[in-house]
Amino acid sequence: MTAVAGDAGFAQPWGLSRRAARTLKGAAGIVLMLVAWQVSVPLVGMSSYFYPAPLDVWAAFVDLVTKGVLPIYIADSLVRYGVGVGIGAVLGIVFGVAIGMSRRTSLAFSPLFKFLFALVEVAWIPIFVVWFGYGVKTIVLALIYVVFFPVMYNTLLAVRTAPAVLVNAVRSLGGGRVGVMRYVILPSALPGMITGLRLAAGFAFRGLVFGEFIAAKTGVGYLIFEGAQSQQTARSIVGMIVMGLLWLAIDQFYLRPFERATVQRWGLIVDAADRR
Amino acid sequence: MLREPAIATAIVVALVALYAFAGFVGGARKLDAVQPPPAARGDYAITLAFAPERFHEQWLQDRGRVVGVKGSTVFMRDVEPQVLRGIAREYWVTGVVRWSGP
Repeated sequence: MTAVAGDAGFAQPWGLSRRAARTLKGAAGIVLMLVAWQVSVPLVGMSSYFYPAPLDVWAAFVDLVTKGVLPIYIADSLVRYGVGVGIGAVLGIVFGVAIGMSRRTSLAFSPLFKFLFALVEVAWIPIFVVWFGYGVKTIVLALIYVVFFPVMYNTLLAVRTAPAVLVNAVRSLGGGRVGVMRYVILPSALPGMITGLRLAAGFAFRGLVFGEFIAAKTGVGYLIFEGAQSQQTARSIVGMIVMGLLWLAIDQFYLRPFERATVQRWGLIVDAADRR
Repeated sequence: MLREPAIATAIVVALVALYAFAGFVGGARKLDAVQPPPAARGDYAITLAFAPERFHEQWLQDRGRVVGVKGSTVFMRDVEPQVLRGIAREYWVTGVVRWSGP
């Protein structure tokens, strides 16, 4: 076990906790950026269509909420995102474990997946539109495609690097394929799977934006596209900020805690702060 | 260890429940103006708090047949009672009245 030392021992300014000080520092950067953005607007001297000020963006946000547009768009995007990431993750884990465990499966699928990995999801969306039409199916398929590969390759790597000594130990105690899978492969691969999922969940927002650009009439991605089309640039920026905040919230409150929990339970690293 | 996801989920569920409850209560109040209560498909004038955008027209079109827009009022035909209750629950809908045609 390797201990990673934190900065818990250092005194924080104004008697703040380490976490509060870190949040404050992060917020300071955002506030500084907003002030610089607002100040730069009169200096640049462009119309709000080309270069909206933060206050224009705030007004657009209030307008979108008042008119009920943003809540519905966020709900639609989150449902598509959840379904796509969920299915993509399950498929990625299943294929990752299967390819990692079986040489025959690896020989059968590896070349195909290497080929498909090179094709970005944007290239598939027009084809999906032809096959499945505009709407949820196409967007969810694009998301599955984006999520599948990072989860699959991370799972595959994690399965293949499972400690051989433990595999042999289970086998020597009479454990079969299922026993090896249950007691060694899955626990040791879990941190890799979660890391892949976290990586893929971030990429999935790209798929969501592209999918909603092309194949939707609602959603945060569509808001970004529609705002630019209808010369309401501030609305596009609202869409971008909302998408960024959604990702931060999902990562902060779900993916990071799960990753931390699995790495600490089954991984090789433990946070020094949690050992006290 | 997994306290953060649990708290975040609880907050999201509470917010969604509050939103649904507020919509339910507000929707019932808005439908008080529709007498007798809707029991079959009907024609209605839906008033919004603002002039409808394309989003609102499409959203309503998915729930009935939009036949016209005047100011901030959208006129709809063949709206089912259950769908009408769903429309009335939206906070940006300020009023629902029966409409007898142009």
